[in-house]
Amino acid sequence: MATTVGAAIRRFLGGGAPASPAARPQPLPRWRAARIAVTRYGIALAAVAAALGTALFLQGNRAERLEFPIFLFEIALVVWYLGLGPAILAVVLSSLAFNYFFTEPLYTFYVNRADLAYYIVFIVFAVLLTWFSAVRRRFERDLLQSRDELRKEVSVRARQAGLLELTHDSIFVRDLDDRITYWNRGAQELYGFAPEEAIGKLGHELLQTEFPRPREQIRAELLRGGRWEGELRKRRSDGTRVFVSSRWSLRRDEQGRPMEILETGNDISDRKAREEEIRRLNLDLEHRSGELQASNKELEAFAYSISHDLRAPLRHMVGYTELLQRHAGASLDEKSRRYMATIVDSTKRMGSLIDDLLSFSRIARTEARETTVSMQQLVKEVRAEIEPDTTGREIDWRVGELPDLYGDRSMLRLALVNLISNAVKFTRKRQHAEIEIGCLPKQPEGVTLFVKDNGVGFDMRYANKLFGVFQRLHRAEAFEGTGIGLATVQRIIHRHGGKVWAEALVDAGATFFIEVPNRR
Amino acid sequence: MADTLGRILLVEDDPKDVELTLTALEDYNLTNEVVVARDGEEALDYLYSRGSFKMRTNDNPAVLLLDLKLPKVDGLEVLQTIKADAKLKMIPVVVLTSSREEKDMISSYQLGVNAYVVKPVDFHEFVNAIKELGVFWAVINEPPPGSVRRKPA
Repeated sequence: MATTVGAAIRRFLGGGAPASPAARPQPLPRWRAARIAVTRYGIALAAVAAALGTALFLQGNRAERLEFPIFLFEIALVVWYLGLGPAILAVVLSSLAFNYFFTEPLYTFYVNRADLAYYIVFIVFAVLLTWFSAVRRRFERDLLQSRDELRKEVSVRARQAGLLELTHDSIFVRDLDDRITYWNRGAQELYGFAPEEAIGKLGHELLQTEFPRPREQIRAELLRGGRWEGELRKRRSDGTRVFVSSRWSLRRDEQGRPMEILETGNDISDRKAREEEIRRLNLDLEHRSGELQASNKELEAFAYSISHDLRAPLRHMVGYTELLQRHAGASLDEKSRRYMATIVDSTKRMGSLIDDLLSFSRIARTEARETTVSMQQLVKEVRAEIEPDTTGREIDWRVGELPDLYGDRSMLRLALVNLISNAVKFTRKRQHAEIEIGCLPKQPEGVTLFVKDNGVGFDMRYANKLFGVFQRLHRAEAFEGTGIGLATVQRIIHRHGGKVWAEALVDAGATFFIEVPNRR
Repeated sequence: MADTLGRILLVEDDPKDVELTLTALEDYNLTNEVVVARDGEEALDYLYSRGSFKMRTNDNPAVLLLDLKLPKVDGLEVLQTIKADAKLKMIPVVVLTSSREEKDMISSYQLGVNAYVVKPVDFHEFVNAIKELGVFWAVINEPPPGSVRRKPA
């Protein structure tokens, strides 16, 4: 009860010993401090007056010799609640009052011999009381202060320990014999062992750790550098494997001797699995690209062999047939000569088939060399190239404004040769052939060119067969051809990232479109 | 064979091609001046006067008609050897091949070939090509010093 009253007084006065360290650092404004000091000394004064009054009252009522304890009690109260300064004031004033009112001769400040000892004892008591109180107060204050500091430290530590518990990372501590001494919640979540199952066990045995290097080496590195990092494979309580990115820190005592090992770890199983997946996919890709390369090489060797070896026998067939014709020509009848001419024709056709197939396969095999190509110029060149096929024909050429395209010049040229010579070929039966080459209005996705003729056209029902290799929509005796031309066109335009299509009506002409996307 | 005057060295492994080529050259009476080597090794033996050609006269042919696809040593290797040899590099070499492969053409020109001819399938074109080649290189063209001269008529 006394302490709460004291605390209330202390709070009210704000002086004396501070109630707690927390209150101490706030400096009071000067005027307030002065007012509090005046109040404190005033109360001390009042206490002395009260003690004096009480003592005089009691003396008047024949209660002799009570002034001594009353004054001491008053001093004790003042020193306890008001601090050292007011206490000294109280001691001095009390001594004077004691001397004046209670030692012979009364009402003087003289002390006779008989009462001198009594008076000195009073002063000694008063001073000792003040001194002891002051010292006690100081002790108490120091004690309170260290208690508060301790409390604070404990709360900080507890919070830190709580944080360790809170983290998702697994954290555990091992002593130098590798026995687990601490095991946080993260560790429990990751490995599945409760703290009571883990603590006291050998870490690497409990988790069946697989080390990337011998454990002794890792330990030596830890002892040398104080740290180690690496990826470890461990086992959970349910037997499943887990990849952990693990960091070890060595804790030493004040003398620098190793004490314990803190091990933190994150689960990197997912990452490892992804890495493994990527590695597997890469291997697969490498394997496939190897296969592709091999088959490409094979294809190239095949094409080379065709161009060398397949053409030679054809040449011989034509050559020897011609020689036979020359040798026996005179003795042969009309029919035999026609047979021989057919042999020569067929062989030549075989030759051009092989040539077309080779140039078709070359589109896929050769690398595209892309530049800006003037289609206007290219059309001019192509028309000049196929001019020999148009002699004696009446063809009305209408060539519109053509843009520049970004692509492989020789490939685009081949595509145009095929489209334009097709137009020339399939208008052959027209008295007045019309061939129009132009460009559709510019679209955001690309440039569309077209080649339009008024030739025999085709049935749109077969449009899907138009661009297939060896696909023909006309009989060989009507229009010659190998059936590779439009397939070549399509392959070239596809290599440029574009598309081809056609619109036609039987006997009313055909229009072929090529669309090449804008690039660069 | 050893003392044949060869102004044209035809390197060709296919006997039919040899026959057709010789037929084409017949009209210009060049047949007798053609020496035929049936593979790359034989061609080099002839050029270096070794093996079965040890006894031949030392002159170089006026032109070499070279097929590319040959047994043992292929045409490109023969061409490389010739163009790398100070004594032989002046001989005009004409590649005469079935192949229209761009790769072969580029390699041949890089090695310093003098002409590259793709044998036409059409016999008339073939005969014309061979004739023109023979006449140009063996008759019209003035061969480099050290080559076999045309016999004085």
